Amino acid sequence: MGGAGTGRAVELRGVHKFYGPFHALRGVDLAIGKGEVCVAIGPSGSGKSTLLRCINQLEVVSAGRVYLGGELQGYREVGECLHQLSPRQIAAQRRRTGMVFQRFNLFPHMTALQNVIEGPVHVKGLRKREARERGRALLARVGLDGLGDRYPNQLSGGQQQRVAIARALAMEPEVMLFDEPTSALDPELVGEVLDVIKDLARSGMTMMLVTHEIGFAREVGDDVVFMDNGMVVERGKPQDMFAGAREARTQAFLSKVL
Amino acid sequence: MGGSDGDPVVGGSRPDTAETVVFNRVVPRRHPGRWVAVAIILVLAAQAIQGVTTNPNFHWDTYAEYVFSPFVLRGVGWTLILTVVAMAVAIPLAMLLVVMRESGNPILRSASWLWVWFFRGTPVYTQLAFWGLFAVLFPRIALTVPFGPELLSLDSRWIVTPAVAAIVGLSFNESAYLAEIFRAGFRAIDRGQTEAAQSIGMSKGKIWTRILIPQAMRTIIPPTGNETIGMLKMTSLVLAVPFTLDLMFATNAIANRTYLPVPLLLVAATWYLAITSVLMVGQYYLERYYGRGHDDVVVKGGPH
Repeated sequence: MGGAGTGRAVELRGVHKFYGPFHALRGVDLAIGKGEVCVAIGPSGSGKSTLLRCINQLEVVSAGRVYLGGELQGYREVGECLHQLSPRQIAAQRRRTGMVFQRFNLFPHMTALQNVIEGPVHVKGLRKREARERGRALLARVGLDGLGDRYPNQLSGGQQQRVAIARALAMEPEVMLFDEPTSALDPELVGEVLDVIKDLARSGMTMMLVTHEIGFAREVGDDVVFMDNGMVVERGKPQDMFAGAREARTQAFLSKVL
Repeated sequence: MGGSDGDPVVGGSRPDTAETVVFNRVVPRRHPGRWVAVAIILVLAAQAIQGVTTNPNFHWDTYAEYVFSPFVLRGVGWTLILTVVAMAVAIPLAMLLVVMRESGNPILRSASWLWVWFFRGTPVYTQLAFWGLFAVLFPRIALTVPFGPELLSLDSRWIVTPAVAAIVGLSFNESAYLAEIFRAGFRAIDRGQTEAAQSIGMSKGKIWTRILIPQAMRTIIPPTGNETIGMLKMTSLVLAVPFTLDLMFATNAIANRTYLPVPLLLVAATWYLAITSVLMVGQYYLERYYGRGHDDVVVKGGPH
């Protein structure tokens, strides 16, 4: 299979993304090992979110390849050519990743528990009773025991985001993707969401996280990736990068946010 | 009162309990204008009622004679059937048109656009007349291989009966309008909903049925209720087919015989109003059901 890397949960090779004439990603190479937590930081518009969305095929890459667990995403490689996979196959590939969005994107017509069991029941075909049991356990895990019957509009932003995390976890993904999970939250609600993510990192989940919370990046990240202008400028251990970045652009950015 | 002893009120709150709170004594505002308005409206209403009920030109005796006559009741029945069946055909058809319009397939997109363009762009009366003439224009409906042999052939008169022509004409026309209403409803849903559904691996069909349609319903139902009520009255145009059993045709026929159009128009109006009222009750419950998660009403038995 395309000579993909071994043991890597996520691997991107030479990924470019164009929106019309706009060059959003300019040749990104990135690998995340199993159980690693990779945090992407950088100014807005630098391509962090686009990168994340390319991993679970919410965006189709214009050039380059994305591998999950060694499997090429979106295409079958036949000689020199890439053959598009069917929508069904792409949907199946997406199940390897769970995604948490900036604006939660909970289904407003379903209760918290219904949100969590929607995937297991209607995608995986799990029996409803079993799914409910697991869904309640997941809600308890993110600290929402007993709130399963609330609709999203009856929950605070922090609670909604935790339901969204539980919904993603319910599909038992290999990799969790977080797209600025705390950017839409009131400051006093950020902590409860970060705690859940920290917990998840400790449990050995492979994660890629886009965030503006530099302190959190330092605490939870095994690796920090600094992106600017559609490129990975620098990658390193958080303690090293925040103590002294190699690249001038990274230094300039960090001096503004630290 | 905060500063009764002259001290300015500083920040902080006193530990009053529910029993010790002294509530403000508020004298409600008076609204004399409202009472004047009520009086004027009551007088006008009384005059209107008197003008209608005691007026011999309204022929209330004739009205009473025909309002429950079997001939009229049969008309009510057929008008209801036409309305319900035409909407029942138009709604799934419109849904299909929207899915086609939003699909990635350019042929399906264009076909949907053309359908809406044609059926919205031509008068429904003309469409009904053409469906009525179908058996004349195409005496036989045959299943053939294009330019090849005929597999099955049927007489059009037995298939496109006046009732069928009326329902096809009304529902095809309606589907074009509903498609535009539905499309607006789906467009109003945040893109993040589709992305969230994709991110848990849902297929396109599941995303439509589980995520998009239930959410669009909330915005789609009020204008669709409007369209249903419009359809109720649009059924009176089926005389173009000609279909002769609906309520309007029935009351017109009686009026032509008795030379008393006014009481028969009142009979028809009464029934249209009665059916509309029943439809509005149904709409209320539908709105409440699909408003779950938005309006703060608790609805039992929503789809899990």
